[in-house]
Amino acid sequence: MEATKSPYFDTVAYDAIIDACNDSPGRLLTVLEEAQKITPHQYLPEPVLRHIAKRLDVPLSRIYSIVTFYSFFNLKPQGDHTITVCRGTACHTRGSKMLLDDVLLRLGIKPKEGETGSFTSEDMRFTVKTVACFGQCALAPVIAIDEVIYSNVTSEKLETLLKKLASRKVKS
Amino acid sequence: MNARFDELKNIGQRLIRPQTPAIAVGMGTCGIGNGADQLFEAFRTTIAERNLDIQLRQVGCLGYCADEPLVNIYFPGKPLLVLHKVVKRDVTAIFKGIEKGTLPKRLVLCKISKWDHLSTVVEYGEGYPDIPEWNEVPFFKRQMKLIMRDAGLIDPSSISEYIAVGGYAALLKAVRTMTPEAVVEEVKDAKLRGRGGAGFSTGIKWELLRKAPGEKKYIICNADEGDPGAYMNRNEIESDPHMLIEGMMIGAYAMGAQEGIIYIRAEYPLAVERLTNAVKQATELGLIGSVIPGSDFSFTLSVVKGAGAFVCGEETSLMSSIEGYAGRARPRPPFPAQKGYLGCPTNINNVETWCNVPVVIGKGSAWYKATGTEKSPGTKVFSLVGKVKNTGLVELPLGEPLSTLVYEIGGGAAGKEKRIKAVQSGGPSGGCIPADKFSTPVDYESLAEIGAIMGSGGMVVLDQDNCMVDTARYFIEFTKNESCGKCVPCREGLAQELELLDKVVNGKATQEELTLMESLANSIGDTALCGFGQTAPNPVLTTLKYFRNEYEEHILRQHCSAGVCEALFDALCVNSCPMHMNIPAYLELLKENRLEEAFESTIRDNPLPGTIGRICHFHCQMRCRRETVDTPVHQGEIHRYLADTIYKMGSEQKIYETLMTEKKPATGKKVAIVGAGPAGLAAAFYLVRLGHDVIVYDANPKAGGVLRYGIPAYRLPREVLDKELELYKALGVKFRFNKRLGTDIHLEYLEKEFDAVFLAIGAYEHMDLPIPGTEYKGVIQGTVLLDTLERKSRVSVGKKAVIIGGGNVAIDAARSLWRVGTDVTVVYRRSRDAMPANKLEIEEAVAEGINFEFFTAPLSIKADAKGKVIALEVMEMTGGTFDTSGRRKPIETGKTRDIACDNVIIATGERVDSGLLEREKIVTTKWGTVCVEPYRYKTNRERVYAAGDMVSGPSTAAEAMGLAREAASFIDFELMGVKRFDQLFKTFDYSHEPPTEIVMTKQIEPRHLSVASRRGNFQEINRGYMGDQARLEATRCLRCDIRLSARG
Ligand code: FES
Repeated sequence: MEATKSPYFDTVAYDAIIDACNDSPGRLLTVLEEAQKITPHQYLPEPVLRHIAKRLDVPLSRIYSIVTFYSFFNLKPQGDHTITVCRGTACHTRGSKMLLDDVLLRLGIKPKEGETGSFTSEDMRFTVKTVACFGQCALAPVIAIDEVIYSNVTSEKLETLLKKLASRKVKS
Repeated sequence: MNARFDELKNIGQRLIRPQTPAIAVGMGTCGIGNGADQLFEAFRTTIAERNLDIQLRQVGCLGYCADEPLVNIYFPGKPLLVLHKVVKRDVTAIFKGIEKGTLPKRLVLCKISKWDHLSTVVEYGEGYPDIPEWNEVPFFKRQMKLIMRDAGLIDPSSISEYIAVGGYAALLKAVRTMTPEAVVEEVKDAKLRGRGGAGFSTGIKWELLRKAPGEKKYIICNADEGDPGAYMNRNEIESDPHMLIEGMMIGAYAMGAQEGIIYIRAEYPLAVERLTNAVKQATELGLIGSVIPGSDFSFTLSVVKGAGAFVCGEETSLMSSIEGYAGRARPRPPFPAQKGYLGCPTNINNVETWCNVPVVIGKGSAWYKATGTEKSPGTKVFSLVGKVKNTGLVELPLGEPLSTLVYEIGGGAAGKEKRIKAVQSGGPSGGCIPADKFSTPVDYESLAEIGAIMGSGGMVVLDQDNCMVDTARYFIEFTKNESCGKCVPCREGLAQELELLDKVVNGKATQEELTLMESLANSIGDTALCGFGQTAPNPVLTTLKYFRNEYEEHILRQHCSAGVCEALFDALCVNSCPMHMNIPAYLELLKENRLEEAFESTIRDNPLPGTIGRICHFHCQMRCRRETVDTPVHQGEIHRYLADTIYKMGSEQKIYETLMTEKKPATGKKVAIVGAGPAGLAAAFYLVRLGHDVIVYDANPKAGGVLRYGIPAYRLPREVLDKELELYKALGVKFRFNKRLGTDIHLEYLEKEFDAVFLAIGAYEHMDLPIPGTEYKGVIQGTVLLDTLERKSRVSVGKKAVIIGGGNVAIDAARSLWRVGTDVTVVYRRSRDAMPANKLEIEEAVAEGINFEFFTAPLSIKADAKGKVIALEVMEMTGGTFDTSGRRKPIETGKTRDIACDNVIIATGERVDSGLLEREKIVTTKWGTVCVEPYRYKTNRERVYAAGDMVSGPSTAAEAMGLAREAASFIDFELMGVKRFDQLFKTFDYSHEPPTEIVMTKQIEPRHLSVASRRGNFQEINRGYMGDQARLEATRCLRCDIRLSARG
């Protein structure tokens, strides 16, 4: 969580991203997506947003309007491991709601009032997110653990996967 | 460029048909999600290690996702072999097979002798006569591959392979030989329509941009496939990215645009990667970024990743998003063609629309129009997902009926015993289409007519285990979260709609709120700003139109039959049991060795536990969590065991006494029940315990109805039934036998004498079979046969009987006659799978050696001069297309023959005696069943109620009893003005600990009488569980009634 603690961060990597996208269509989205990717804990801390606003010469308010609109962006740090549960139609009809409840329960995450879409455990080890569809609908229900996709997931299969994940060492 | 183009073409051709054996792995996201990448790696290392002369490459996806991973194997000069469900273990066998020249049969799905890439035909070769051609496999049979013309056959990362199969030829043709106007004309003439939504004419849209004034024009590809459950665009890009680029370039040329943008979802990393790579290759070749030789056309193309917002599928939101704003809709006009991206004239089309363009230009509009319908030519790729067996991407000519998609290609319901209920088409803006409308052709107009839309082509199949209210709620939650918030109807309206739906799924809504929900949905649709909001209420409106009964069930009965709405039930088995037996309770009590209490628990819920435990269809087993581990728990066999054991020990008297002492004080109210079958008995059991004076009338000399006069003794020994009927007399139920409604008693009289009348006469009339000869001697109705056997213990039949029908009565009649030594043949006009009879019963009948002739329809009954049956003339049938029941329509072959016999037994179905009801002045529905107020069981006559088969149509005994129980509860409420029904039940104390270990045993088979000892007698076949068997079976229960959340 270094980035939140300190307003100082290495701008070099971010500048490289900005320079690479000079003036192509959709530049702002691309810059923000890439910036989030290289930030530890996959999120967009305020100093980073300020820096991007300044470099691209767009008002900070517009940047905030974007990052709060799209579900892809995180304003809060994410856990070491991300479990993404598809909540698309095909997955829903094959029981993804139950699967999501199961994941939260097994990881001991209690969603707070009004919280939807993304939940992080207190120890910052896990983030559970939902997604509208992975495009894997034929093999529903689908979840992803750290971007590896698993299909036809049952509650039993989930248990094995999460056990394996929990036994993995914390990413340093 | 020209020389390089030809060079690439040659390279590509050699890659597609190399001189060496070749392996190609289908590597779309879905293949990879199923292990295709590991498979590829395994092939690669083996080839490298053993230094084999085998070509290995990746290809896209053929669309048969359910059978992934798919692998193509090619031997020079032979057809391409498609292997399916290949796993890493198979790799060794595949290499061995390549060496020997034959592959393991189990892996081979089909062969491809030649493939039409539309602009080129690739001839792989001839051979393998035993292997079906690809288009003979049911999943592919009806498909037509226009958009998926290259998918699964070429390497998407190779521009040379794309060129080798004729790629970019249409582009060069357009820019070199056609004027832009001519291109627009061709597209217009082809009647190509937008594949992403409402189906607006692509040609007209193009013309608008072409004619729009302005120097700088843009074209955009909407690849933000946001419709959850639809993923065809992902595969189109992953499998054939150059096809999209070519389509866009032709469009740019035609419309005079210099720049193109592809807006693609970030959730599709592989598609982004392949697309970016393809743009790079096309640029290097000189197609993009420089003037194409032989023309004055040049074009640049960029790829922009979206960041996850469904509303960006809407054109104006999408442009805001690319411009670097939140994706909020803008009012139209101005239309994008006037003022679009960065204020310039812009055209936006969906991925699949663009992919059609090279075909239209390459093959010409006349060729294109030959496929599909007059108004909607061409094909559409559908993502067939949900509860269907063969999931995947299916490309069909427009205008094919939905049944083709769901049954013929999809193979019907995914679960063996499941029934498909509906298809949700078009995503969150679409609608739910009920199964009885599956004959609807899939085209823009026909779908709109029934309230659904084509949308992007997502077809999500729903079965009986999906709740339609939950489905509607799901979509409204989705659209509410995705609403951009700009206009009030969409932002606030959807939020309120969701609140109302939440009430329904929690069983807390009222009928008035249902009406409110409907009018709110209509007004959101009428007043929202953009297409997103206008279509958002569609899922609610269509489910209300076609599945209103499910809403009513949630509201009036606080019940969700599908077992989805969690607030309304504890355990799935309890929810599925028509009598809501507390199954976890008696299983646990048995485990704790508290037999009497276990039995008491069953009898309170099910007043014929030993009887129903024998003959039930076991609705409980159809929804058992244990099935995710192995097989369901046999809950029914256990309550039968409990009853048998208690009766054997004689300890039922104690429980009977408890029930008797518990009886409510006399209310002074008199209730008449007509019919002593399952429904009548169940109502009597509860009403008498509530203190009412209950008299049951029945036309027969004994109680039991169909249990006694319809079900053969080998399934239900009469001693069991008689034993269980003792309780009724003990409780004070009075029976009046040999009294038939309409003859001996009339409603007018009963109404006068009683405070309430409950009708439960069932559905016993037989359906007419419209063939000549049914009047001959020796023709017997199936129900009459069973009835006679019961009354007289014998029937006079000849040596050989033919039974017509496929239901339970047909099977019961066949097995009964077999027992008395008759030679029996059952003829049925459809296939064995299509038989409505209980599957177990059919299996038993087959085991007993009863002869079945399927696809055989009766034509006439023949008799001798004395009018005595001598034969049944039948027509051989064959399976045609699927009807709306999901079964193949039997079609006459013209081949007829006679089956010699002495008797013909007709068992083609039962119905309610609606004539009798009419005479008794009871209003009936168009199906002849009694019209009652939903879940109130009130008929049109004052104080007269009805339930069971006469209301629902022929169903199971347990279902009839369940309805009767509810009716009893309501009758009591009407008589007394207070709710007392719940007082008849009792909660038992038992463990609420879920098992720590899962006992790994499959469902335990009870003991059965051997087939050899069944002939010549009616002894019971199923001998039931022994004590240890019953206990072991009970421990198989996972106790899913203990909600996970309670585990803490
Ligand atoms: S709905 Fe879950 S992957 Fe598409």
